[in-house]
Amino acid sequence: MRKKKQGFRRPVVIKKPKQPQEQPSVDPITGKKIPKSFVFSRGKLPAPLKQLQMDLRKLMLPYTALSLREKKRNNLRDFLNVAGPMGVTHFFILSKTATSSYLRVATTPQGPTLTFKIHEYSLAADIARSQLHPRCPKDLFKNSALIVLSGFVSGDPPLQLTTNMFQNIFPTIDVKTVKLSTCQRIVLLNYNKDTKLIDFRHYSIRLQPVGVSRRIRKLVQSHQVPDLRNLQDVSDFVTKAGYGSESEADEEAATVTLSSDIGRVNRASTKSAVKLQEVGPRMTLQLVKIEKGLCSGEVLFSEYGKAGGKGKSDDEMQGEEDSDGDEDEEDQDGDHPEDSEDKDQDLD
Amino acid sequence: MAEEMKMVEPGRGKRKFFKTQGHKKSSKKAKVMPPQHGQKKVKIDKKMKKLFRKRAREYNSDDEEDDEATVPATLEPKSLASITNKRNDKDGIESEDRSEDEGAAGPQKTWNKNATDMNYHSSDDEGEDDDEIQPGITKFTEGCRAFKMAFRNLMKKSVPDDMLGPILSGQRKLVVDKLAEEEAERKVKGEAKKEKQMLAEKGHVKPATYLDSHEKFLISVATKGVVKLFNAVNKAQTAQRGLDPSRTKDAKEIRKRTKQAFFSELGKPSLPAIGTTTKAKESTDRVEDEQPAWAPLRDNYMLTSSKLKDWDKMPDKNVSDDMGKTSEDSSSDED
Repeated sequence: MRKKKQGFRRPVVIKKPKQPQEQPSVDPITGKKIPKSFVFSRGKLPAPLKQLQMDLRKLMLPYTALSLREKKRNNLRDFLNVAGPMGVTHFFILSKTATSSYLRVATTPQGPTLTFKIHEYSLAADIARSQLHPRCPKDLFKNSALIVLSGFVSGDPPLQLTTNMFQNIFPTIDVKTVKLSTCQRIVLLNYNKDTKLIDFRHYSIRLQPVGVSRRIRKLVQSHQVPDLRNLQDVSDFVTKAGYGSESEADEEAATVTLSSDIGRVNRASTKSAVKLQEVGPRMTLQLVKIEKGLCSGEVLFSEYGKAGGKGKSDDEMQGEEDSDGDEDEEDQDGDHPEDSEDKDQDLD
Repeated sequence: MAEEMKMVEPGRGKRKFFKTQGHKKSSKKAKVMPPQHGQKKVKIDKKMKKLFRKRAREYNSDDEEDDEATVPATLEPKSLASITNKRNDKDGIESEDRSEDEGAAGPQKTWNKNATDMNYHSSDDEGEDDDEIQPGITKFTEGCRAFKMAFRNLMKKSVPDDMLGPILSGQRKLVVDKLAEEEAERKVKGEAKKEKQMLAEKGHVKPATYLDSHEKFLISVATKGVVKLFNAVNKAQTAQRGLDPSRTKDAKEIRKRTKQAFFSELGKPSLPAIGTTTKAKESTDRVEDEQPAWAPLRDNYMLTSSKLKDWDKMPDKNVSDDMGKTSEDSSSDED
């Protein structure tokens, strides 16, 4: 009787709640602080700009607050107070006036603040709709994007400050230890001297094997069964290779040799072609104003010629520092690949 | 005195007429006889005055009749209450009879009655007759005039010929006006919405389905950047393959290679790390090379001077390198 009673008892199982994974605030390899950002708006935004805000948040993943909520009563001080303990280092602030929209990029807690006028913008949905085969793999946004700065060669202090700001927005990478499979996205900032406009683009990186016929590459990349009705033998599928389109012509400049395997197709020590496909959002920006503080303080640069107080000693000191930066950046930014070298410098 | 006698005689004549009309009335009249006699004497003076006035007015025209009508009303309240009641009854009867006669006979009979009144020379009778006739005549004439005016106004109006008639056509016009107003409001609202949407969509551009030259240029620039990065990563990782960082020799080689790769990427000529030079010379060269390369870079990124010192200490000794690393860790902890 006792044995039977013991048998009926059920064991008590205590379930522990799963704790969310904590993001590291410091890069374990380089030992540097990982930059994080808040993307929010000031004032009431129309629907397209709200969508642009969401696209920017996705672009800044994984080190941003994707579901950041804001209320009318929130002021900049509130975000600043929250940014401190969370380790947020940059603010992206969208606002709109009757004339046009503006994007402010600021470093916390004390600035500086760069104000850009958004001349044109296209949403990620618009760009996906304009493509025949929009691409969005599931792990595209699990790693942060790389950044390429082009055209920032002139030695103007505002451009240098812009370059430094954007380079520091994205986390640095260690050339010795990085895995190329984590490099999935790239952000391009191209400066046009004549028009003084900055083209902001966001691409996804795709690698294709080189030296393989088109049909076999298609067969390997996709899981679809080919149509063999018109063929008499399996060997015909390999022999009769179709012609590729002009855009698929492999260029020597666009091929790389990989140091590790990426995906199922691209093997180490073999050549692969780099293919970029735009993901969006797309913006055309113009640098309008630079403020010393966080959306406040002295105006260091103004496109409309209202900057004043340059005679002060503080400005002179900053001017000197900027001049030093000018020389170095001139050497660095001579070619596009030096941008990646800048990252190396950061690491070292 | 003779006049007084004449006045008494016609009064008696009136009484006779009343007796002939009804038996009941005659009995009432007999009872009332004595007080009337007394009042008659008093009235004679008044009657005389009235007669004179009437005669003067008769010479003029109808105005006299109007005046007479007003006079008897004033006399009645002065007399006693009981007498006034009886007189009122008599007056009512007389008025009824005369009105009937007038309605039946016509204008001729009215003239005859007027003549009879003058013959009798009784102020009360004449006044009553006037009162009875005037309101009816005036009302009828007024009605005629009002109708005439209304009819003329209606005829003067020029109404446009409509199938629906004047009233229904007016209603139709009202409906049309309302519809027009509604359409106007809708247009205004529509325009407001369009303006709002234009403001919201300002700067929003739909991208083209093809890649223009600018887009192709941007893609080529980005591709170059990616290729450079991937090649650099490949070089770095291939070079250090097979090396174990735990061993001292391998660690040294790794450090050398990192420096060489870095300098080559910078585009600057790197000094020959491997050679017959002495250790002291190597250390001094490293310090000289690294200082100008690192200090401005640190300034670029607003780093503190303490870090600069740390980097200066690194090439001297292995121990100093370790110290630098620990300082970096401490700084990160502070962050």
